[in-house]
Amino acid sequence: MRYAIVGSGVAGTTAAQTIARADPSGEIDLFGGEAYPYYRRPQLWALIAGELEQDALYYRPVDWYAKRGIRLRLGSNVAAIDRDGHRLTMDDGSTSAYDRVLLATGARPFVPPIAGVQKEGVFALRTLDDALAIKAYAQEVESAVVVGGGLLGLETARALNAAGLEVTVVEFYTHLLPRQLDVEGAAVLQALLEEQGLRIITGARTEAVMGNGRASGIKLQGDVQVGGGLILFSTGVRCEVALAKAAGLQTNRGIIVDSHLETSDEDIFAAGDSTEFRGRVYGIIPPAIEQARVAAANMVDPGSASYAGSVPLTILKVAGAELTSIGDSLGQGEDVVALRHMDLPARHYRKLVLQHGRIIGAILLNDRDRAKIVRQLIERGVDVSARGEQLLDDRFDLGSLLH
Amino acid sequence: MEKQECMVCGYIYDPAVGDPDSGIEPGTPWEAVPDDWYCPDCGADKSMFEKIG
Repeated sequence: MRYAIVGSGVAGTTAAQTIARADPSGEIDLFGGEAYPYYRRPQLWALIAGELEQDALYYRPVDWYAKRGIRLRLGSNVAAIDRDGHRLTMDDGSTSAYDRVLLATGARPFVPPIAGVQKEGVFALRTLDDALAIKAYAQEVESAVVVGGGLLGLETARALNAAGLEVTVVEFYTHLLPRQLDVEGAAVLQALLEEQGLRIITGARTEAVMGNGRASGIKLQGDVQVGGGLILFSTGVRCEVALAKAAGLQTNRGIIVDSHLETSDEDIFAAGDSTEFRGRVYGIIPPAIEQARVAAANMVDPGSASYAGSVPLTILKVAGAELTSIGDSLGQGEDVVALRHMDLPARHYRKLVLQHGRIIGAILLNDRDRAKIVRQLIERGVDVSARGEQLLDDRFDLGSLLH
Repeated sequence: MEKQECMVCGYIYDPAVGDPDSGIEPGTPWEAVPDDWYCPDCGADKSMFEKIG
């Protein structure tokens, strides 16, 4: 059996490893568009902050791949899939045969089409090369503007701050981390970040990048200007679906897969950031790993494994504070009840989202033990309806609900 | 004893060190770490870890 994996990020590398274990006699081609083997993408901020060297980002020594019979082909961009002939065509015109292929093509940053984004000093962060370019440019300027107050934006803002720059974060939404936090939780987070020296502007639409050739700041709606020599757009990503689409596979926001991670072609699978499962694109690592393992199992033995979706969990560490967001923490579904406990001066925040008597999401600040219990209550679907407000009470032993 | 690495964030579980903050004593081998333990850096569960090497 000859397996091809398009994309050498977390989903592609995990799948290669899983296939190598399950089918040691199989041939595995792992194609990566970047020049580097698998690295820790979530730690690129640490490279920018100067807290980590480039070599420390790699997970696996280069011989790790060869030892497992994985042919790692870096700098190889797959340009087309010939489904009938079961061949991949590279952008240099060469071809490579496959029996089953995994599309782990990932995502690319989305930069809004506003005036001035082509100026020197404007960046988006996705790849190691992006991080190296940002790190180098950061040494030439004194201030930065990060457009986008999501996870990546905040982490990168802190990194630029650690590298010695004055940093302003501009968020279009009314509060930070709009995908993970509600207004109250975000207020606590914002207070913590401001204490650390970040400047934060929320509810602001960015209209243009200013500067003569080189960026010098941004202009917000209402003619407010924010100065900064380095402008980082952290305004979301788009699934990399072009290859799948050109091959005639079913796509929407992402490449559509069923519970076997199979696309609309039975010999083509997809996993990770490029993938849409039941209308959802997760865009975070744990689901990418889960999907890659299921896809790999099915590539080796069709129908042997299935995927039922993931409960997203995010932990953000901010200067000694630990913010955890689990599952449907915003609670936007029907019949949803939110229980909250907030104490801004003490930097306390706790929120549970309930639906039909079960916890479906939570936000917890500096509350690791409780976060652990809540996570299990969510995963096991424990009925907590008899407890009501007691659930937030410090004196109530939440763990007792697990037994 | 074998170390385990979090595939999500790169945190390394070293049995010699354990994870005292989460109640895992130094000297606890990976197999004895409870299934409900999770990565202290990123929240990934045990299934997200791979043996180093």
